[in-house]
Amino acid sequence: MLETIVFYAFAAILLGAALRVITARNPVHAALALVLAFFTAAGIWLLLRAEFLAITLLLVYVGAVMVLFLFVVMMLDVNLERLREGFWKNLPMAVVVGGIMAFELVAMLASRHFGSATSTRVVPAGYSNTRELGRVLYTQYVYAFEIAAVILLVAIIAAIALTLRRRKDTKALDPALQLAARREERVRLVSMPAETER
Amino acid sequence: MSLAQLLSHLRALPEMVLLAGACALMLVDLASKSETRRLSYLFAQGVLLIAFCATLFVLSESEGKRYYIFYGLFVSDLLSHVLKLFAFITVSAVLVYARPYLHERGLLKGEFLTLLLFALLGILVMISANSFLSLYLGLELLTLCLYALVALNRDSAASTEAAMKYFVLGALASGLLLYGMSMIYGATGSLLFTDIGPQTAALAASSSSMRTLLVFGLVFVVAGIAFKLGAVPFHMWIPDVYHGASTAVTLVIGTAPKLAAFAMALRLLVNGLPALAVDWQQMLVVLAVLSMALGNLAAIAQSNLKRMLAYSTISHMGFMLLGLLSGVVGGNRLNAVDAYGAAMFYTAVYVLMSLGAFGVLLLASRQGAECERLEDMKGMNRRDPWLAFLMLLMMFSLAGIPPMAGFYAKFAVISAVVQAGQLWLAVAAVAFSLVGAFYYLRVVKLMYFDDPAGVAVPAGGGSARWLLSVNGLALLALGLLPQGLMALCQAAIRSL
Amino acid sequence: MKTLYLLVPLAPLAGAILAGLFGRALGRAGAHTVTILGVLVSFLASCWIFADVLEGNTFNGTVYTWLTSGGVTLEIGFLIDRLSALMMVVVTFVSLMVHVYTIGYMAEDPGYQRFFSYISLFTFSMLMLVMANNFLQLFFGWEAVGLVSYLLIGFWYTRPTAIHANLKAFLVNRVGDFGFILGIALVLAYFGSLDYAQVFAEAPALAAPVTLICLALFVGAMGKSAQFPLHVWLPDSMEGPTPISALIHAATMVTAGIFMVARMAPLYELSATARSVVLVIGGITALFMGLVALTQYDIKRVVAYSTLSQLGYMTVALGASAYSAAIFHLMTHAFFKAVLFLGAGSVIIALHHEQDMRRMGGLKAAMPVTYWTFLLGAISSAGIPGFAGFFSKDAIIEAARHATIPGAGFAYLCVLACVFVTAAYTFRMVFMAFHGAPRYDAHRPPHESPAVVTVPLVLLAIPSVLAGWLVGRFLPVDSAWDFVVHGLVSLPFWLALAGIAAAAILYRRPSSLPKRIAMRLGPLYAVVERKYGFDELYAWLFGAGARVLGTGLWKAGDQTFIDGLMVNGSARVVGWFSGIVRLAQTGILNTYAFLMLFGILAGVTWVIWRFWS
Repeated sequence: MLETIVFYAFAAILLGAALRVITARNPVHAALALVLAFFTAAGIWLLLRAEFLAITLLLVYVGAVMVLFLFVVMMLDVNLERLREGFWKNLPMAVVVGGIMAFELVAMLASRHFGSATSTRVVPAGYSNTRELGRVLYTQYVYAFEIAAVILLVAIIAAIALTLRRRKDTKALDPALQLAARREERVRLVSMPAETER
Repeated sequence: MSLAQLLSHLRALPEMVLLAGACALMLVDLASKSETRRLSYLFAQGVLLIAFCATLFVLSESEGKRYYIFYGLFVSDLLSHVLKLFAFITVSAVLVYARPYLHERGLLKGEFLTLLLFALLGILVMISANSFLSLYLGLELLTLCLYALVALNRDSAASTEAAMKYFVLGALASGLLLYGMSMIYGATGSLLFTDIGPQTAALAASSSSMRTLLVFGLVFVVAGIAFKLGAVPFHMWIPDVYHGASTAVTLVIGTAPKLAAFAMALRLLVNGLPALAVDWQQMLVVLAVLSMALGNLAAIAQSNLKRMLAYSTISHMGFMLLGLLSGVVGGNRLNAVDAYGAAMFYTAVYVLMSLGAFGVLLLASRQGAECERLEDMKGMNRRDPWLAFLMLLMMFSLAGIPPMAGFYAKFAVISAVVQAGQLWLAVAAVAFSLVGAFYYLRVVKLMYFDDPAGVAVPAGGGSARWLLSVNGLALLALGLLPQGLMALCQAAIRSL
Repeated sequence: MKTLYLLVPLAPLAGAILAGLFGRALGRAGAHTVTILGVLVSFLASCWIFADVLEGNTFNGTVYTWLTSGGVTLEIGFLIDRLSALMMVVVTFVSLMVHVYTIGYMAEDPGYQRFFSYISLFTFSMLMLVMANNFLQLFFGWEAVGLVSYLLIGFWYTRPTAIHANLKAFLVNRVGDFGFILGIALVLAYFGSLDYAQVFAEAPALAAPVTLICLALFVGAMGKSAQFPLHVWLPDSMEGPTPISALIHAATMVTAGIFMVARMAPLYELSATARSVVLVIGGITALFMGLVALTQYDIKRVVAYSTLSQLGYMTVALGASAYSAAIFHLMTHAFFKAVLFLGAGSVIIALHHEQDMRRMGGLKAAMPVTYWTFLLGAISSAGIPGFAGFFSKDAIIEAARHATIPGAGFAYLCVLACVFVTAAYTFRMVFMAFHGAPRYDAHRPPHESPAVVTVPLVLLAIPSVLAGWLVGRFLPVDSAWDFVVHGLVSLPFWLALAGIAAAAILYRRPSSLPKRIAMRLGPLYAVVERKYGFDELYAWLFGAGARVLGTGLWKAGDQTFIDGLMVNGSARVVGWFSGIVRLAQTGILNTYAFLMLFGILAGVTWVIWRFWS
């Protein structure tokens, strides 16, 4: 009973925070609302006894990604409001379509098939969520894990390829080039006939 | 793990070779100082060749049987081998066609080659996927590379915009696909197609509300497939991306990924959800008809050749869907080999035609003189008769004029549709093909009957020209002697 | 052996492609070398196959399956038996001779390579037709030879008469093809197969409308083989270069109809009605076209009408169930008619493209080789015992005499009378062109043609004399010699002699006798001379009639329906539609994403709607 109450509380906060993310005019507020959404999502995962995933979500998304995002927003002074100009204009239409869709989804999913939100399976003593996850990740899903690694690699390559720009007018020094320079390349001795003053 | 178990993973040898090769290519590229990237290019082609041979090895070793490895996430059957072989050939040809074009524009970077190989890896993963997970990851790998490839031409505003659109819409489509997958996973409790197949059959038979739930998830899955194929109404990215990307990248997007999209549709729908065939076939009917109608009609109004070919892609994918939707009739799969075989044949031939058409555009383009508007084709026959003739072959084939391969492909699909008893669909397909013939033949008319406009630019030569000739003549040969390829496709389908 | 079969049609095809596509690179000599080489290879292979078939080795099989659709397989296959092997030899031999002859005849023509490419292509098509083992391939060959024929009739496309003749041939053949397609469609509908062997095997048991099928197919044969009343295109086709007249419009293509009916013999044997029709049509064509030949002065037209008449003979033989006699006559006719045509061509070049016999005469001394070969061809044509034409023609007359189906008596009378007419017009030609006083332009005296022209003439003259002796097995009597002896005392021989005598009396020396006879016959002569007015009738009936109908249709159908509704309408629809598409393809991301979601929404709504209803 208590669990159910906690779940619905978290769910309500999550939805509210998510809504705030897209409606907040101030980008910093939006980012903070997103942090809140992550927090509550992690809470729901804890309810489902997925401790490892909940902690990871906090560490990775809240701790790293969102902080980085906030830095970028604050440092670059991006005017998100201008980027989202169309948002308010399209809102009525979006509300109608979204409303119909939400209604349909509820009509479908409020049925009997996803009845229990909590797992009824009894967990043996000494069961470690993290260990099980690790075991499955490196056995059953090793193939998927490898492909995910490749995707990350591609992301790195793509990011570098798209952003790395060597400026033509840069004054930065290249020590390797400097050291490799030889005398013949820098100094040219020219022999000229001596000119005498008359 | 015993040695035999370890060795069984060699069935993924082509993927391993490609991964290792792509990683090594990044290092090799450091040593490739010249502007032509000769070393990297040759290395990439070498990797493709080795991977091709590896596939042949796996194929011969499998003796026509089907194997599952990596805990069922990876399937190795004849279909996967054949599609992989097609993919290697396609990407190799893409490299040959794109190289001079990229070189002239200073775009021939190591990243292009590397990303292309990784994209190919994504295609291979999709082709061999036997699980929602591997399919989805392969898809992401492929599309991530494609986004980056489109954006690679950083100085072009059009390319950047196209990449942005592609990325956002692609992410949306991925979300939809994942949502659908999660729905089906929730109902069946498995990610493996081999489990989902019987599970869905049992569930769908158990209660009508359960069936509705599965179909609900199916809607999202089909939407994901439709986006990848570019079927209406999930097609909006195609014209903009084809148009915005540099022609070399358009060539990449327009060819090998179609094989992956076909494999994706086949694996998800035919392997995973055959029990819902009645439902997804109805969805595909709508997608196919809309795609053929919109693709063909909108193509007529285009003045940009790349955009025209983009709409033509939409219509062709619609046509291919006709094959996919006529496999199961009244609950039995008697028509399956014919119908899916026809669809596969269509896809392979389409890839070949698309390669050739964009190849001609690449070859006819020069620095400062892009060949991408319809007017650029004017008087092509006067400037370069052989290139014009090759383009004529491609256009005839795309329009489905006998004896080109495009005709036979259309014929096979239509006869499969007729066998499935969908006579009105066949009539519609023929009608839209006739509409489509107009804009292909207009290109021919421009090439042969109009006076050249502007400055005559000499078209490039070299290996690309040779390969293009082979490409065009192969379409002719396949139209005259289609049985070999058709038998191969049907054998591949039988292995499903 | 299969490779050899393939070699026969493919060698000329290769020649045609080389000469057609790379004609400029090959040059004139190169073009004729490759094509002649191709046909030579084909001819030698055909001879080999013929010898093989005579030993009893026949073949019926698929070479290549193009596609399978709904249980019907469309394939390329060969049926090699005596009939097709003989046809192959005849076709390749005549084609080879014509190729060689063309070197001389077309020497000054700018379209030299094009011409060689066409005639090689024709040879390929004809061989495909002859070797077919199914209706589809037969139809392919049928249309392909027709196509090349149109191309060649209009070869000199700057001449308006050539274009007119071309159009006429095309239109008349459409009528025939319509029947032919109908026949094939009926076969497919009732038998569910296009394979000869299967159709023939099932025909007796099946309750198919065999008579209808046979008649429809025969309409096709009437078009291609120029049988009354679809004969009008053949005389006009003489606008094409003479080698073409010899190859296509005498020896090979026009006999395709005869060949086809002979091939379909198992079907025709099931329908006496159809054979009666064939018999009567053949009889009419033989006699009445022969009569027209008597009144013409253009040497090529005389030969053309003679061809019509001879085709009539073959048709009579088909109707009388004497299929082997028909094919026998087809073969001998191919030889002697080729001689006559090429001889006429030789005369025409010698006289600088003069075709009117009234301006010839006395060429015997100037052109001995042409004269003697022409004479041999004429004797053979007239059916003098011992010469090739005699054997086949007598076999047909005998067959017509013994036939019992309705119409046989009429046909017999026709062919018998035609013997006289044939001899008369053939020798009229000989006498007018080669004997008597010279009437040509004395300033430009004729010379004997070069060797490339005369050698084929001689080579073709040999079989037109001897072919009958070699093919004794077709004859109803025990030995060829007995047949000759019998022929000497039979009615046709005396009729032929009478014809020659009549020609000699009237035309040996210039006299006013022919004119007086013409005057005496009055309107009858005029009717024959005007070719019974068929051209005018068709021009009036179809030309004017079609124009009236066409104007009506044009106003009602074309202007309002097609142009207004279909063409402009569809253009408007397309324009409107692409306007809408352009409206949606805004380039704005929101629209795109929205459309995708809309698609999803439609799908979900569909699911829910189905669930609730």
